[in-house]
Amino acid sequence: MKPWIAFSLLGLLPVAAEPPMRDATTHEELELRYRKAMQEEAMRKANAPAPQVDPAKKPAPAKPAEPAKPPTLLGQSDIICFNGVATIVPKRAILQSPQNLASRLQYQAGAKLVGWKDFYELNRAWITTVEVSEEQAQGDSPLAEDTQKKVVKSTQLVVATFKGGPISVLPLKTPPPEGNASAKSPQQTPSKP
Amino acid sequence: MKLFQCLLVASLTCGSGFSQEVISYLNYIRQFQTPSGVVFDASNSVGQSGSMLSPLPIQKNGARFELWTIQSSSVSGVSEYLLSSSYVASYIPTASLTLSSSDTTSPVPRTRVDQPFYVTYTIGGLLSGATDPDASKAVTYQHHVQSYGPGGTGANLDRTQAILYREEKIEKNATYNQTFTITSIPRDGFSSATKIRGEERFTIRSLPDDRDGYHVDSLIIDSKTIQIWPVADGSISGITNGQKVRYSVPQLTLTLNDLYPFSTTYLQAYKGNPVLGTTGAIISGSQLVINDSVPNSRTLVVSNYGADLADDGTWTMELITKTPFGTDRLAYVTFELDRTMKVNGTVTTSE
Repeated sequence: MKPWIAFSLLGLLPVAAEPPMRDATTHEELELRYRKAMQEEAMRKANAPAPQVDPAKKPAPAKPAEPAKPPTLLGQSDIICFNGVATIVPKRAILQSPQNLASRLQYQAGAKLVGWKDFYELNRAWITTVEVSEEQAQGDSPLAEDTQKKVVKSTQLVVATFKGGPISVLPLKTPPPEGNASAKSPQQTPSKP
Repeated sequence: MKLFQCLLVASLTCGSGFSQEVISYLNYIRQFQTPSGVVFDASNSVGQSGSMLSPLPIQKNGARFELWTIQSSSVSGVSEYLLSSSYVASYIPTASLTLSSSDTTSPVPRTRVDQPFYVTYTIGGLLSGATDPDASKAVTYQHHVQSYGPGGTGANLDRTQAILYREEKIEKNATYNQTFTITSIPRDGFSSATKIRGEERFTIRSLPDDRDGYHVDSLIIDSKTIQIWPVADGSISGITNGQKVRYSVPQLTLTLNDLYPFSTTYLQAYKGNPVLGTTGAIISGSQLVINDSVPNSRTLVVSNYGADLADDGTWTMELITKTPFGTDRLAYVTFELDRTMKVNGTVTTSE
């Protein structure tokens, strides 16, 4: 960090009246505060009104406390990484990934994470996009036949986009008509290593 | 000017002995359509602030939005933080959560374990008609806590292990304010209550919804997390209380633990016995400025600071740390300085 930036940090501290200097808080002081807070919490619970019970309503069956299941962004994404730069796209946004590009779907330690737009600009030589509609993304309608053929035969990484942003493409809800059965739909069997 | 010069020297000194960790942040917005499950990345340009129309239309069962920031560190790799989550639908209540503390210096809300923090949430759109869907009549408030463990930073944290500390149903449109004077993170494993570190997450969730043949799980309408960091501690070694210092000042070793992520720490000296609140002369080479995402521990060696102690006499040196919460004294020592050289001799003459 440059020294002048270090100096200016002091100026970024809140300018409200600063409390007087004090000795650092000790374990005993915090323990005292903790005991007081626990007593107040116990009193609050003891004084809380009993929940109103509607005699006309059936009581809901007892259920275990809901486990914490926070989502993870990286767990919901696929990583694309090349030449020290990486980006993430939603899972199922990659419609086609040729075998020879398999190594580019793994994060390389130290790679700099950038947004999709910046990553795509740097890697247009081996990434192509297919613009899809909302209905196609939801699996309500298939991709156009010639688009499907281009995707399946593509030697590049193919990413589905909606208004330029990567979007997941769900499997078709109904199979395509008899006549197109021979075309392998990338929506039904996304080809990934 | 002297303070600026001192900081310049300290920064250069501190920088020379340590490899600098390089940290960057990248923001992401994801839109999750319900119930289809389509996920759209709306991150093409997510700056520090702004607004945009939802790229995908909101269907009647709604959509969930998540704002994430990913921290890339040259040392610890990649860590993700969910800054906000919001579920919107035609009849799902609205909720807005804010967390605040005296530290406004970080995009990720944080505070220190001995400092209070505040939670405000506003619930709106709750209905109460007999024919209104159940999911429109109440929301669930949840408070989760999770320890980082001694020395932990939250990097690669498995947040599925967070403890549900409190859960309540809210059935009234209102703004609710809570003050937490003490953390609810468990003390297990920490040597002292002052060394607790972890995070507390507050969430407003919709109730599960079953309508028109669709089932939508309970979803997050809004969620915010605040990090709790330990109180710093420090010691001065190389000089003892009451020591008589003659001629040259001894080399000092400053041991600094858990300096707050946004702090300035230094050694100061003033004449006389210790008086808390005294402003003294800053000892050359003793300053350390931290502007980081996690607490820092360092060891500083300070020597040749005799010029900062102008006169002989009783001196007190104090280890001070300044944070967004104020100024704390971590340690102090008082000694006698006597640099006067006395020569015993006689003068004789002879003719």
